[in-house]
Amino acid sequence: MLKYVTRRLLYTVILLLIVSFTIFYIFDLIPVDPARLICSKQCTPALVEANRHRLGLDVSVLEQWWRFLQGLVQGRNYGEGGIKDIYCGAPSFGYSFNRHECVSTVIADVFPTTLSLTIGAFVMWLSVGVSLGVLAARKKGKFADRASNAFVLIGTSLPTFITGILVVLFIVLKFHLVNPLELGDWKNPITDPIGWLRTFFFPCATLALAYAATYTRFTRSNVLEISSEDYIRTARAKGLSEKVILRKHTLRAALAPIVTIAGLDFAGLLGGAIITEGIFGLSGLGKLSLTAVLQTYDLPIIVATTLVGSAFVVIMNLIVDIAYAYLDPRVRAE
Amino acid sequence: MSAMNLTTRRWISVVATTALAVSLAMVSGASTASAAEVKGGTLNFYTHNEQVAALDPTNMYTGRDIALYGTYIYRQLTSYKMVPGSAGTELTGDLATNTGVPSNKAKTWTFTLRPGITWEDGSAVTCADLKYGMSRSFATDVFNDGPGYARSWLDIPVLEDGSSAYAGPYKKTGQELYDKAVTCSKDNRTITYKLSRSVPDFNYFASYPAAGPVKASKDTGDKYDLRPMATGPYKVKSYKINDKLVMVRNSKWKKSSDPLRKALPDSISIKFGMNEDVRDETDMTDQIPNGINMDGLQSTNTPTYFADPTKAKQRLNIVDSFVTYLSANNSAGHLDCLLVRKAVFFAYDNQSLIDLAGGLKYYGEMGDNIVKPNLGMDYIATKGNIHDPNFKIGGNPEYAKTLLAQAKTACPDAYDRATNPAKGLKYYRPDTADNKKSAVIVEAALTKAGIVIETVYKPSGSYNANLTEYKSQTDFLASGWAPDWANASTVIPEMWGDGCCNYTKNEDTPEYAPFSAKIKKALVELDRKKQAKLWHELSQYGMDQYWYIRTVFSKDQLTWGSKIGGFQEWKIMSTPIYNDLYIKK
Repeated sequence: MLKYVTRRLLYTVILLLIVSFTIFYIFDLIPVDPARLICSKQCTPALVEANRHRLGLDVSVLEQWWRFLQGLVQGRNYGEGGIKDIYCGAPSFGYSFNRHECVSTVIADVFPTTLSLTIGAFVMWLSVGVSLGVLAARKKGKFADRASNAFVLIGTSLPTFITGILVVLFIVLKFHLVNPLELGDWKNPITDPIGWLRTFFFPCATLALAYAATYTRFTRSNVLEISSEDYIRTARAKGLSEKVILRKHTLRAALAPIVTIAGLDFAGLLGGAIITEGIFGLSGLGKLSLTAVLQTYDLPIIVATTLVGSAFVVIMNLIVDIAYAYLDPRVRAE
Repeated sequence: MSAMNLTTRRWISVVATTALAVSLAMVSGASTASAAEVKGGTLNFYTHNEQVAALDPTNMYTGRDIALYGTYIYRQLTSYKMVPGSAGTELTGDLATNTGVPSNKAKTWTFTLRPGITWEDGSAVTCADLKYGMSRSFATDVFNDGPGYARSWLDIPVLEDGSSAYAGPYKKTGQELYDKAVTCSKDNRTITYKLSRSVPDFNYFASYPAAGPVKASKDTGDKYDLRPMATGPYKVKSYKINDKLVMVRNSKWKKSSDPLRKALPDSISIKFGMNEDVRDETDMTDQIPNGINMDGLQSTNTPTYFADPTKAKQRLNIVDSFVTYLSANNSAGHLDCLLVRKAVFFAYDNQSLIDLAGGLKYYGEMGDNIVKPNLGMDYIATKGNIHDPNFKIGGNPEYAKTLLAQAKTACPDAYDRATNPAKGLKYYRPDTADNKKSAVIVEAALTKAGIVIETVYKPSGSYNANLTEYKSQTDFLASGWAPDWANASTVIPEMWGDGCCNYTKNEDTPEYAPFSAKIKKALVELDRKKQAKLWHELSQYGMDQYWYIRTVFSKDQLTWGSKIGGFQEWKIMSTPIYNDLYIKK
């Protein structure tokens, strides 16, 4: 088992290295010159060169990447000579001259928002999706099933950018539930749970809606499929009550794949929920990435947010794989 | 234009109903609160933008930021009078006792600091702080997003690559050159700038935060942007990008040292990153009565808001300081024929383009100059162009055809290129949905006149960064410009002369040499009226050459909450007079 985990950890590191180099390489290919973009309207070639040097873009892609890796391990000074006191300690993802901060500080600053949003939405979609799915399966063909079908239809056909705008305009603002100036404010859920709920309930609900609909459908079909298995019929024949059959036999089997998928969805969202964060003005990883890609061409931010997002997915995959390997020795053997 | 009249009428009304002493004080630029003004409360601003473009004074270069932060946290050597109407385009002393004293044909400028001016830590603002503040503009390894006038004008040699021999206060290379160009008196209150040529409007540049003070011991270089030191009535309490900037009263600021600022609210907060739909709904339903939208509404919401009678006292439709234009490439092999340029000018369907962008009421009106009326004495209504009897705002293809017929014999090569389907004119545009819509209008209008045009779409993200390259390849280039201060010296040389943003490629045409010589004369003319007359002549000359195919005097819309008082237009800045804003009881 230890050998398997070690091997997978090694693969994970190699994968993240490849991802990081690919970002540098792609950024170099894009026909945009960040050095020129941040030059004033009285720009001269000398100023562009000064910018390029300051941004660390005056060396080859390989050299840029190598410096990045060095920063990750041992920290790094940014700018040379003229810029005062710019040192980012390890693990340094770089320095954002656009935001005037070390990227690791920026990430640490926005990550709680994304984490709050993701955990809140995760709890909502799992509890709503699984409950509705089980209910729909047990009441197959009845009103509850048809109502859950309607929910699934609405949830999956409404894109988040529509749901979000509808929620914020016609619920949040219409009924003065949150002051627009407080939309997106970060509140610590431990020290200020009410404040957190006011700010994060609606974004979480918006994000959870589409996922909850999918999970309702998935749970319903899984429960129905498992319910028709021979061992369930046997349990029923032995005289077990429907509640016991559901709790002890059906759900255990039906939820295993759901938990796996939920883990991966959770990891994907930790990389940032761009649309929801944008609509509710949440300063999270998704919004940070979007601004860096579309507006500021802030390479250190782009590299860091992509790496963080990738790392979550890869690590969650690793955890799932380890779990499977633990449960199924055949996976280890492969 | 109606907006200007409205503002003027409002101002006259205010003056007429206010005590004489108050009105006199306002006209002179001094800050005296009117009876209606209330102290206290929090003034809220909100914007879709993620952050202040640059809070560091050395990098600050947008009009709105200079107006806002120059009112609340920074004081400059000079400032525009914080009053409505044309008086608001006049300079007055701010940190300095007056608007500066030129000598040696305006090659030397001297300013003396008022007594009692302090930083937010209570220490005195000195000449050394001013000297250090301007020196940061030379540290191009740290700052180069701000105005470059200090590098261009101070009497410091320029190296072969165009950079200054002085490398700024961090590297200190060439420090002795800077120390000679900028000197302080023994009492550390008078500063003298020695320039490499006559600059009659140097004192306008002195109104920029980039020419203002920075305390060397508190300079944190690149990070100064996040926590600058205040000299004004407010200081930065907290600033988090994509979240909020909160300014609170600067207890060390003394009203007695500041003849301009009123400092009415107790605190000022700016909310960043607000979704545009949320922002507009906030305005429409007055969700934040003590709030001001910094962006304007989306064009789809503007007509609704401006048609709502309940919002009549919460809106202004102003002619802003921007001119949007379409420049022609005058170089050989492109539009190097006046008749062809004129044909394009008269064929253009400006009405449809303006309608597409928001209409004459909200987007803008056809301009007859690249200098806008906002600039006061430097503007002149030129002859010809849109005043030509043949000009029709929806396009006049028949007249364009007659011009092309003349071009066929006068300049056959240019005619052939403009009308031959195998050749045709090229128009480089950023690849956006809006540009694709407007391209349909442009192509249809020019085709009607027999002009062949191809729209070439370029990646929008990199378009501006590649303008220098594109300007040689395309026949047309659309952009916009606002003056740096109330003098056409920051417009005509930049747009048609050897300044930063001349996309007309006119420098090799025979018409350029006399034009350029006159620009040089105007730039050093010390008599302001004579200088304005030179700008008038240069404007007319450029418009007669049809170096620009169209100019539009753009408009802007300002909206605010029901509890905001004192909202008036600061004409030179195209912003509210921030100094007058207060929260109604």
